[in-house]
Amino acid sequence: MGTIKRRTFIKRAALAAGSVIAAPYILPSGRLFATTNAPMADHVVFVLFAGGVRQQESILQRYLADSQKIPIEGNIMYNLLSGAPPDLKIAYGTTLPGGQEGGVPISKILSSSIQQQGTLFPEVHYTRGGTGHYGGLSSGVSGHYGLTQGLRQRPLHPTIFEYARRFGGFKATDIWFVGNGISGSIPLLNYSAHPDFGSKYGANFIAPTITFGAEQYIKGFKIYHPDDELDPIHKMQTFLNQSFLLQSGELPNIGNTETEREAIKDFIRKTFDKLEKQQISFPPITDNGDNISIGFATEVMKYFKPKITVVNLSAVDVCHGNFTSYLKALHRADHGVGHLWNVIQNQIPEMSGKTTMIIMPEHGRNLEHNPITDENDWFSYDHSDLNSRRMFSQMIGPGVPAGLVIGSENNPIGDATDIVPTIADILGFKDDVMNTGLLDPLAMSLFDRI
Amino acid sequence: MKIKIIIALLFFLSYGCKEKDYIYGVNDITILPNNAEKDKLKTNEQYLNIVYANMYQKALGPDKLVDLSNVINSLGDKQVAYEIIIAKMMGDPEIKLPSKKDMDADLGKFITETYNRFYVRQPTQAEKTFFVNFLKAHPNLTPEHVYFAFATSSEYYFY
Repeated sequence: MGTIKRRTFIKRAALAAGSVIAAPYILPSGRLFATTNAPMADHVVFVLFAGGVRQQESILQRYLADSQKIPIEGNIMYNLLSGAPPDLKIAYGTTLPGGQEGGVPISKILSSSIQQQGTLFPEVHYTRGGTGHYGGLSSGVSGHYGLTQGLRQRPLHPTIFEYARRFGGFKATDIWFVGNGISGSIPLLNYSAHPDFGSKYGANFIAPTITFGAEQYIKGFKIYHPDDELDPIHKMQTFLNQSFLLQSGELPNIGNTETEREAIKDFIRKTFDKLEKQQISFPPITDNGDNISIGFATEVMKYFKPKITVVNLSAVDVCHGNFTSYLKALHRADHGVGHLWNVIQNQIPEMSGKTTMIIMPEHGRNLEHNPITDENDWFSYDHSDLNSRRMFSQMIGPGVPAGLVIGSENNPIGDATDIVPTIADILGFKDDVMNTGLLDPLAMSLFDRI
Repeated sequence: MKIKIIIALLFFLSYGCKEKDYIYGVNDITILPNNAEKDKLKTNEQYLNIVYANMYQKALGPDKLVDLSNVINSLGDKQVAYEIIIAKMMGDPEIKLPSKKDMDADLGKFITETYNRFYVRQPTQAEKTFFVNFLKAHPNLTPEHVYFAFATSSEYYFY
């Protein structure tokens, strides 16, 4: 029996262990290696708390104090943030018959705020480019400021959807972008124009207020029998497509398989049914488009249990011309996000306790008002000055420190492009994303900023 | 003297062996399938106008066009959107479909007419043969199924 030196043994053992760890296997995406870091959660929900949110009425909880020079402060986002609500001039709530307009605040949904349960970055910087909605949303989902980004153009840099599908190996129906409409180029955000990524790694997009608002055009669409009808239909389609695809092309598609496409149709059909039976998990107060979208987003999550769900809100943008409506929209966005987290934890067992939610506006709003006043003689605010570069982000979920606040008004920490590496970090492919070199140089996982 | 004879012989032979080039008045052409020129993707509006006209044999109104176009834009997978819209049309009693009886009476004629209706071209013999055989092998299929397949096929999305 031969002898082996201790040093040789350790070297060989290390090599053997290394080869096992590094043994490649092919994922459906074609990548050789699995996750590049340990995943922290199975699912991520990213709420684009968008529309342009002023720091003063959100994080700073100044209510009317900074905006209208009326010395009343308070927190109107008490599901997201900790702090007492205003006690005077309540205009952001619901209206009782014969009562004061907006005089009844919406009840809190979460027993403890997301700030208490998670980590808050109260002063995040929108560093580059103009603070426009599409540019902000594009930066949020691509981790890159679109300095040359056109408004009717897909993001020039890959989105988190594409990174997830390419590096995480997720199928198309694992990745969803729920838009609150189809205006403002929102439907273009589900994949980029980048030549190395693009549609084949895109997210499934749905603007549910449009889809489910089109009852007369699609509700009750015919369902074909899978074996007797659908199978021969697919065979005929395949024959028709085969010769044509060689010459010309096909519809830009996001790579749903036939099974996934049928699942999407089934989801649409069932959601129409639930809508008719009033079984959609809408937030208790659903009097604007944002919260209707959130209700449908919960249905997407219940059906598909996506790995990534991005939900876009935008009602607060009414602030261009009506500050009272802005306060109402902000209060409702908070209500909707509280509801969303509540549904995930209590109605979707597959996602409960395994989901991290991230919240971030696409940009802020101005310090100085414009000349437009509303029914309360309150001034309105646009988004173009330095104050509109101030924003916040929040995280809640497995592995996220509770009750932690990173940074402050005088010590900004975090960048508007941080969410893409953060999601990649949570789902375990951060190194892949960082190694592409396609993120903004400032972009960093929020976990690395803690 | 010998050398002069050899040179003269070579000179004579070089002319005598030259082959005459014939030039015919026909240019080289590349043969492509009869759908090869369809390389432009229809817009949602173009698709909807055309499919509606094909299905209903009448023009789509502007309000419906906007609404249906919005439906397509509200879904990321356009194939799903198109299939849902066509499936909804198929349940509409106003849609103009040939009868199953007419289809079965002359499958070749039905296929030719379907290619004309949707693709605005004649089927190749191979295409015609495939469909005739396929429909004979699937006797439960109706014109609706065939129309659905054509209306949601790649060639129909291009012009």
